[in-house]
Amino acid sequence: MAVATRLTGMQEKKLQNYFGGKQFTLLYKATVHEFSEDNLLQKCCDQGPTVMVIYGGAYVLGAYIRESYKRDDRVPIVLFAFQENEISECNIGVDSPSSFLYQYNRKWDDSGFLLNLEQKKVNMNLDTFKKLGLPQNRPISFEECEVFRCEDLLDKRIMKGITQLHDKLLADMRIYRPHRDLIHQIRILLLGPTGAGKSSFFNSVKSVFRGHVTHQALVGSDTTGVSDKYRTYSIKDPRADRPLPFILCDSMGLGEREKGLCMDDIVYILKGHISDRYQFDSTKAITPGHSNYIDYPLLKDRIHCAAFVFDINSVEYLSRDMMAKIKKIRRELIKCGVVHVVLLTHVDSMDLVTRGDLRDIYSCMPVKLKLETVHRELGFALSDILVVSNYTSEWELDPVKDVLILSALRQMLWAADDFLEDLLLEETGRCIWWYRHLEVSAVWLLPAWICWVPGSSLCPCRSLSCE
Amino acid sequence: MAVTTRLTWSEEKSLQKMLGNVSLRLLYKSSVHGNKTSSILDKCTCQGPTVTMIYIRNTTVGILMLRPYSKTYDHLKRPTPTFYFSYQRNIATEMRTEVLETETKIASGQLVFYSSGQEVLSVCLNDTKLSINDSLSKALGVYTRSDINYLECEVFRVEGIEDDTNYIRKITRATKHRNPLLAELRTYKPCADFVSKIRILLLGPVGSGKSSFINSVKSVFQGRLTRQAPVGSDVTSITEQYRIYPIKYGNYGDYLPFSLCDSMGLHEKEGVGLCMDDIPYILKGCMPDRYQLNPNKPITPNHPNFISTPSLKDSIHCVAYVIDINSINDLSSKMVAKLKQVQKEVLSCGIACVLLLTKVTNCSEFLQDNSLNMDKSMTSQSQIMHVSKMLSVPIYNTFVVENYTSEWELDPLKDTQILFVLRQMLRVAEDFFEDLP
Ligand SMILES: Nc1nc2c(ncn2[C@@H]2O[C@H](COP(=O)(O)OP(=O)(O)OP(=O)(O)O)[C@@H](O)[C@H]2O)c(=O)[nH]1
Ligand SMILES: Nc1nc2c(ncn2[C@@H]2O[C@H](COP(=O)(O)OP(=O)(O)O)[C@@H](O)[C@H]2O)c(=O)[nH]1
Ligand SMILES: [Mg+2]
Ligand SMILES: [Mg+2]
Repeated sequence: MAVATRLTGMQEKKLQNYFGGKQFTLLYKATVHEFSEDNLLQKCCDQGPTVMVIYGGAYVLGAYIRESYKRDDRVPIVLFAFQENEISECNIGVDSPSSFLYQYNRKWDDSGFLLNLEQKKVNMNLDTFKKLGLPQNRPISFEECEVFRCEDLLDKRIMKGITQLHDKLLADMRIYRPHRDLIHQIRILLLGPTGAGKSSFFNSVKSVFRGHVTHQALVGSDTTGVSDKYRTYSIKDPRADRPLPFILCDSMGLGEREKGLCMDDIVYILKGHISDRYQFDSTKAITPGHSNYIDYPLLKDRIHCAAFVFDINSVEYLSRDMMAKIKKIRRELIKCGVVHVVLLTHVDSMDLVTRGDLRDIYSCMPVKLKLETVHRELGFALSDILVVSNYTSEWELDPVKDVLILSALRQMLWAADDFLEDLLLEETGRCIWWYRHLEVSAVWLLPAWICWVPGSSLCPCRSLSCE
Repeated sequence: MAVTTRLTWSEEKSLQKMLGNVSLRLLYKSSVHGNKTSSILDKCTCQGPTVTMIYIRNTTVGILMLRPYSKTYDHLKRPTPTFYFSYQRNIATEMRTEVLETETKIASGQLVFYSSGQEVLSVCLNDTKLSINDSLSKALGVYTRSDINYLECEVFRVEGIEDDTNYIRKITRATKHRNPLLAELRTYKPCADFVSKIRILLLGPVGSGKSSFINSVKSVFQGRLTRQAPVGSDVTSITEQYRIYPIKYGNYGDYLPFSLCDSMGLHEKEGVGLCMDDIPYILKGCMPDRYQLNPNKPITPNHPNFISTPSLKDSIHCVAYVIDINSINDLSSKMVAKLKQVQKEVLSCGIACVLLLTKVTNCSEFLQDNSLNMDKSMTSQSQIMHVSKMLSVPIYNTFVVENYTSEWELDPLKDTQILFVLRQMLRVAEDFFEDLP
């Protein structure tokens, strides 16, 4: 028989959260290691804080002992019981394993908890039964007993690992250079419904690199969205005299039907026609001649990677209309050859997710289930979905959050590299291509005036696989 | 003292991956529980498969045992495959490994492993010494003249082993085959010197994982996840352009002499999905890269980029039919008809083909014990036989893969399987050249 717990995933997660973000290591399981007090103590002494879980028919109850113990040590014991999905607790003071495990038949007005493994019975005094909300006052027979070691999800060892990863990611990103130095800065476009956390993501990224929390981009939660200007944010590297190798482009939020970002503007943004601080108009797209319209955008002006940003809590409740918009934009991105990822924010406010879970967010049960839903409903590959928790209200940086933000950013830069590499292939070693696409390659290889034909209204980059 | 492992977090994560995406649960730690065999046995008997780690200054040696620790000696007496590994601090991904049929003896303060009567490794708990025999220490790269003093010994339960008998072979596959396969493919040259680059075309139903396979191959060579080929699901094909993807080694490396061609998926309805009349043009090499496919209208020789006189190097040399393994039981008759039509075209061009079954959940279940080929018991499944017969792909050219679509980092086990499939495709393509008049 396998040494695996009987707790459901949900129960285990609840219990881990209840005792403060723990991770469980199963040490003893009665049906495998026998219903024997001696065996239990052999397995569980000197193992640090432990939690014992007893399964008695419909009841799941147990004892949390927050200190390492030996057989005769007197240690503080907290009893708990699952009620539906809530946990109730009762602090019964100190006791030693040698007494609560071996003295089932003693007089026990003083003790709140006695266990008899051989007879598979657990007993408590009336008061304790009541406090735990267990609707009976007779000994409970049980069929399984398990003991786990409880470790902090973010103990010293893990924090050290996280800090190392953090420093490495930060250093890598500082010296990152776009594929073959085709450009200096990668442009990442943030797209998504209003209130998804696009502007907050920029603030978070900036904060991580600045070393303290900043709130440059206005963040809001009212339904029309605070950002109605196109903003392209470059961040100065505080440790070097140059900007960081990426620019985050914050757009107006997508809205229902005619509200929000105008769909026709997206193509203009992707091709680099729209400049910083353009005032969006939901009703119509930018037109050539506008002071924010760039006539002959170069490669550096184009979008190199796009991220669909959603609030993880509401992503599965998007309206049909919004879903259709997203799918349409995705086709547009693919047509333009722009690689895209999905960024889910607000993971910190998800039910059951604790700070400790952020260390391994992609294996955290509730998050995993959510990602599968997004994959199924919206049709994005799982590996294209990234998860972050933004800096919104706090003033202190947290390396655990930083690592999530930096990892997401790294995937975006890689995606941009994929885009750039694919572009370059068009011209490598194929002269015919040069001939055919002279006007296209000119867009970014030659200064704009060389290929500009007076009177021609044709935007040269139009023909770049975007027809 | 806290019962916390000596492994760093990153070592722990790499190890869990190298040992086959398992979880490691610390049960025994010598500095806390004492250097006695009785303490190990107290904590570790009947705990299922375990890995015993011995930390020497910069090296860590591990022993993965499938059979649980036991207080009765008889239980461990039967020789069983045991996985020995070692790695240098912080680079668990580059472990050296050895598999030996060994029996275990735990007595009088010692933990000893024997192979055909010879002692191969022993841990003397009383005086914290490790000794390894010559051949094993050579295999593990642990060079010593005499016994080594170790710092600590820890035992973990290994959770997440699905199939005991196959398990050790599965993880050795990754550690033994991955790097040689990668090296072989990096230096691969087509043996037919009249063609410099081999072209492999992926064909299959919408959403079967064609583009994902291309990304998977690119990712292995690039050493990180790549997303160049657009991937996703929708009612109609996500891939709407005909694309020829070259493969590059590393970030700044050279292009390898093969490329993978991606096309729109096949759809059971007429006028949806890849246009059947486009297929002969693709196979012959008339279709240019980045051609925007139209489900209703095939490319015509009048198209400005049409390659009217394709040379041998422009044409397709190997076709891989890509099919979701979960769908083979309910391929619609219309889809079957389309696939048969495709197969006819492929056959008439004399192009060799393979069958690639994607979206398996546990690749290694399908593989033979000692090689990366599909296991007989799997290939004899009537549905797989049926599909391979329908597409006239010999069963030895039928493969399974699990694409890189549901994780965020590379995994040596997946790498190995993807590289293996690619190599077989190249071999099949070479047969095509040898068969040329
Ligand atoms: N679990 C799993 N999912 C896969 C695998 N391969 C592909 N997928 C998923 O299947 C979906 C379709 O994959 P694509 O690679 O876009 O399929 P395609 O054959 O290129 O499809 P079209 O281009 O639309 O015809 C995506 O959501 C992938 O995440 C696999 O090996 N395992
Ligand atoms: N708890 C939490 N709140 C977030 C997160 N990201 C954004 N928010 C909040 O969500 C709201 C909308 O964010 P904003 O960045 O303005 O969204 P935008 O419209 O996409 O730019 C603000 O109130 C933010 O504080 C996050 O990761 N966690
Ligand atoms: Mg905003
Ligand atoms: Mg595709």
